[in-house]
Amino acid sequence: MNAMRNITIYIVLLALAGTIASCSKWLELKPQDGIIREEFWKTKEQVEAAVTGIYASMMGGTVSTNLAVERALPEYFFLWGEGRTDMVSPTARSSTSEIDLTTMNILPANDIVNWRFVYQTINYCNTVIELAPGVLKSDATFTQQALDRALSQAYAIRALMYFYLVRSFRDAPLKLDATVSDQNLKPVPKSSADTILNQIVTDLKKAEAGAPTTFGNTTIDKGRVTKYAINAILADVYLWRDQYAECVAECDKIMQSFQFGLVAGDASWFEKLYVTGASSEHIFSLQFDAQKLNSFYFMHATANRRWSAAPHLMDDVFGMDILNVPPKVDIRGDGASLRAGDFTIWKYVGANSSALRSAEQSTAPWTFYRYADVLLIKAEALNEQNRSLDAWELVKTIRNRAGAIDFKGLPDSTSRTSMQDFILEERQREFAFEGKRWYDVLRMAKRNNYERLDLLLNMATISVPPDKQQSALAKLKDKNSHYFPIYLYELQTNNLLEQNPFYK
Amino acid sequence: MTRLKTLIAVVGLGSLVTLYLQGCKKEQFTIETTDDVNMTGYFIKNSDSFSLFKQILDRTETSAFLNAYGAYTCFAPTNSGVTKYLQDIGASSVDAANLDTLKEMVKFHLLSDTITTGAFTDGKLPLPTMLGQYIITGVENKGGISSYYINRQAIITKSNVKVANGIIHEIDNVLRAAKTTLSAQIEANPDFSIFVQALKETGYYTKLNTVDPDPAKRWNSVIVETNKSLADSGITSYTALKAKYSQTGNPADPKDSLNMYVAYHILPDLKYLADIIIASSHLTLLPQEVVSAKQENQRVLINDDVFNGVYEKGVELIRTESDNSAINGVWHTALGHFMVKFRKPQAVYWDVSAFSEIMKLPSFYKRGNYSFVKANDLDRPLKDIDWHYNSASTTMTYSYSSTGSITVNALNWDVNILPIGPPLRASWWEYKTPVIVKGRYKVWICYRTQRQSSSSVCRTNVKINGVQMQREAVFTEFMPSGTDAEREAIGWKRYTGVVNNNFASRLVGTVDIATTGRQVLRFEAITGTQNTNNLDMIHFIPVDANQILPRFNADGTLVWQ
Repeated sequence: MNAMRNITIYIVLLALAGTIASCSKWLELKPQDGIIREEFWKTKEQVEAAVTGIYASMMGGTVSTNLAVERALPEYFFLWGEGRTDMVSPTARSSTSEIDLTTMNILPANDIVNWRFVYQTINYCNTVIELAPGVLKSDATFTQQALDRALSQAYAIRALMYFYLVRSFRDAPLKLDATVSDQNLKPVPKSSADTILNQIVTDLKKAEAGAPTTFGNTTIDKGRVTKYAINAILADVYLWRDQYAECVAECDKIMQSFQFGLVAGDASWFEKLYVTGASSEHIFSLQFDAQKLNSFYFMHATANRRWSAAPHLMDDVFGMDILNVPPKVDIRGDGASLRAGDFTIWKYVGANSSALRSAEQSTAPWTFYRYADVLLIKAEALNEQNRSLDAWELVKTIRNRAGAIDFKGLPDSTSRTSMQDFILEERQREFAFEGKRWYDVLRMAKRNNYERLDLLLNMATISVPPDKQQSALAKLKDKNSHYFPIYLYELQTNNLLEQNPFYK
Repeated sequence: MTRLKTLIAVVGLGSLVTLYLQGCKKEQFTIETTDDVNMTGYFIKNSDSFSLFKQILDRTETSAFLNAYGAYTCFAPTNSGVTKYLQDIGASSVDAANLDTLKEMVKFHLLSDTITTGAFTDGKLPLPTMLGQYIITGVENKGGISSYYINRQAIITKSNVKVANGIIHEIDNVLRAAKTTLSAQIEANPDFSIFVQALKETGYYTKLNTVDPDPAKRWNSVIVETNKSLADSGITSYTALKAKYSQTGNPADPKDSLNMYVAYHILPDLKYLADIIIASSHLTLLPQEVVSAKQENQRVLINDDVFNGVYEKGVELIRTESDNSAINGVWHTALGHFMVKFRKPQAVYWDVSAFSEIMKLPSFYKRGNYSFVKANDLDRPLKDIDWHYNSASTTMTYSYSSTGSITVNALNWDVNILPIGPPLRASWWEYKTPVIVKGRYKVWICYRTQRQSSSSVCRTNVKINGVQMQREAVFTEFMPSGTDAEREAIGWKRYTGVVNNNFASRLVGTVDIATTGRQVLRFEAITGTQNTNNLDMIHFIPVDANQILPRFNADGTLVWQ
C-alpha cells in the first residue's frame, strides 16, 4: 500500500518537474504574423532588405494620408527649403501652416516643423549599423566588403538626415544607437549644431572608406549612395562650416572621376533631368516610379495646387530677352521650373515642357545632388578663398549650358561680394524648387558672423506680404528665428528638450 | 473543539469585516472633461507673476467673467509692469488707485475673440479691445533678440498660452490707451503749426476733436504735413497756404480749395500704415477723390503714380513718425506736400489683349496663340480677367495672326476669344479696366463679328461697376452699312483704319465714372451660345469728344481722318 502511494507520488513529482522545465517556453507568445528581431538579421539578403528599407522610408507616406500627421520626406525637404523663400507663393488652397511658413509666423504647433519622420529614417540607419555586423557570424556568404557597403549607406544617409536637421533646426537630439526595444525609450536632450556637424563628418568619412563607386548599374547608382554621393554631401557640409579647402578637395574628387557631366541644354534636357531621372548629371536622388508615386502632383498640379511660383521669377530671376528675334530663352525658366502663364511649379508636374503629367505619372525624382551642384559649390568655396575668377569660370559653364540671359549685366568678377551675389542668383536659377534656396541664402548670410544678413532681409521684402513685412524683417534680425521651433508634440513628450529661445 | 470553532468564527468574521470596510471606499470618477484652467485660474496658478494683475481683476470685478467659459484674448502684464504702472498713475497700491482708471485699463487688455500671434500684422489687430480702442502690433529687435512689440509699449514675454476660455499673452508692461484726440495730439507739436491752423480755419479741427459715441463713425486717419515739407514746396506760412489755395477766401466753405486740401488729407476709418499699403487706393473726406498708396523698398508712398505714361512722384509717409494712436483715430506724418489733382476726363482706347500675363511671354505675345485655362471655379490664371468656369468654357484664348481673317485688322493683330452662353459655356466675362478719370463716357465695344454657325446668336449685357449699360453687346451682329454719321446715329462706328465690315464697334451706353481708377466691366450672357466671341478693344470716350476718330490700324498707328 505504502509502496503504491510512494510510486504515485514519485510519478507525479516527475511529471511536475517535466512541465516546469518546459513552462517558460509555453508562456512565451511570438507574434503569428511577423518576424521578431531575433529571427531576422541572419542572412545577407536580410541586410540588403534592411538597407533598401532605409531608402523606402525616405520616400515616405507610410503612416497616414493626413498631411497634418505625415508628409513624405521629399515634401518636408521641399517645404523646409523653399517655403520661407522668395521662390514660392501660397495659393487659395494652402493650409494655414503653409501660409504661416511664408509670413515668417511659425508657431511650435505648426505641423511642418515635425521632425518625426527624419528620425524614423535615422533609426532605420542606426538599426542597420547596430545589427548588421552580427550577420557576419550567421551567414558565411556575407563578406566584410558587403558589410562595409551596407554600413556605408547607413552612415551616409544618417549623416544626410542629420545635415537636414542641423540646417533647419540648428540644435537637435543626436541619437546614434538604435531604438529596438521598449527598454531603449529614454528622452534625449538637444546637442549643439557643432557636435552634430562633427558627428556628420566622422560618419561620412567612415562611410567613404567602405562605399562602392558603382553598384553595377547606372540607374541604381543614381538612386543609392555611392562614394561620389558621399563626396557631394561632404562638400556641402564643409561649405556650410566654411571649410573651403576641404570643400574644394571633395568637389575635385568628383570632378576628376570623370563619371559625371552636365546634360546638354537641348530639347531632351528637361526629360533627362526631371522625368527619367538617372542622367549623367545625377549623383544621388530618390527615384520614384509607378509603384511608389511622390506627393508632388497634388502639391503642384494646376487644379488644386497648394503652391505656385512667385510672380516675379520670369522678370527678375530668369530674365526675358526683349532685344533678339527669336528671343533668347533660359531653358530653366518657362517650361522647366515653372509655367509662366499661370505660375505652376512645373518641375514636378510637367511630363515635358508643355504637357502636364497625370496623377499616376507623378514619378519625378527628388534630386539631392547633381553635378551642377558640385560645380556651384566649388565656385562658392573658390570665391571665398578669393579666387573669384576661377569661380566665374565654373559659373560660366552652368550659364552656357542653360542659355542664361545677361539681363542684369555681368558682375565684377574680381569682387568677392558681387560674385557672392552672382553665385547665389545662379543657384536660384539652377536649383529652382529643388529645396535648396533657403539653405543657400542662410549659408551665405551667416558667414563671418552674419556679415551678409542683408541677403535674408532682401529675400523677405520680396516674399512676405506687405502688411507683415516690417514684423518679418525685425524677426529676421534675431538669429534664432532663422531656424525652426521644436514641434509642440516633441516638447510635450520629451521633457529634456528646450525650445528655441526665439519661439517664446 | 468548540474553542477551535469559536476561534475560526472570530477570525472569519474579523476578516470579513475588514474586507468590507476596505471595499467601502468610494471610487473617484472625474466629472470634468478637462483640467485646463480658465484665465483667472491661470493667474492664480502663476501668482508670482500675476498677483497684482489678479488683484486688479478682483477689484474691478472682472475676475468672475474671466473664470467662466468663453473665447477671450488677454494681454496680461506681469507684476513688474503693474508696479511701474501704479507708480506712473501715482497710486501706492492697487487699492489706492482710481477704480474707473483701473476698469478702463483692464478693458484695454481684453479682446472678445481668440487672437494668436499668427494673426498679428504690422498694424492693428483685427478687432478692437473691450475699451473700443485698437491695439497695434509689431516686432522689435533689441540687442539681437526679436520680440513682439504691443502698442509700442510692451513686449510679449510668453505668447499664445492656451487656457480653457481663450488665449493669454504675457507682457512686461501695462498698455496705455490713448487719451487725447487727434486734434490735441497734432496741435501739441509745433512743427505742424501751419497744418493745425488750416484745420482750425476749415472747421475740421472740431471734427477731429470730438469722440463720436457711434464706433462706426468715430475713427479718422489724418496725414499731417510738417512745416518743413510745406516749406520745401514754397509755402512758408499759413498766409501763403491760404493765398495759394483759398480761391473763395472762406476756408470753411466746402467748395473752397483750401477746404478741399484739408479734406484730402483725412481718410475715414482707422488706417494704420499696414492697412494703407494693403489697398492700392483709399477714399478721403473729399467726396470721390482717392489717394493711391503703395509700398516700395520699405517706403510707404502716397500718390506715386504713372498716369497716361507720365510719372508723378509721390509723397512718403515717415514710418517712425506715423501710426500715432489717438482716442478717435490715428495720424501719420508726410515727408512732402500733396494736393488733389484735377484731371479732365480723357478717352481711353483700351486694347484688351495687352494684359500683363501674355505680355510676359514674348514667345507668344504678338507671335502666336496662347490658351489660358481655368482648371476650376477658384482658379485665377489671370489677374485682371475672369470668366465663368463651365464645362465648355475652361479656356480663354489669346489669338494672334497677322494674316488670318479674324485678326487681320484687329489692333496689334490680336483678339481675346471666349466661349459664352449657358448652359455649357460661360455666363459672364469680367475685365478690370485701366485707370479711367472720373467723368461721363460713352462706351464702345469693338469686336470681330463671327458666327460659329450660320444661326448662332450671342447676346450679352454690359455692366460697368455693376451698372447695366443701355444696349447689349451682340458678338454675332454685323455692323450695318451707311456713312459714319448714319452709323453713329444708330450706335455703330468703324474703328479699324482699314475698311472691313467684319470689325464692328457698338455703342453700348453712357456711363458715369464716379472715382478715378480702375473700373470693372462685365459681359453677362442673355441668350445664345457660341465659341467664337472675338473681343478686340473697348473705348471709353468722354461724351463731348469726337466718338468716331481716331481709328486704329493693326500696327498701332492712329488714323485721324
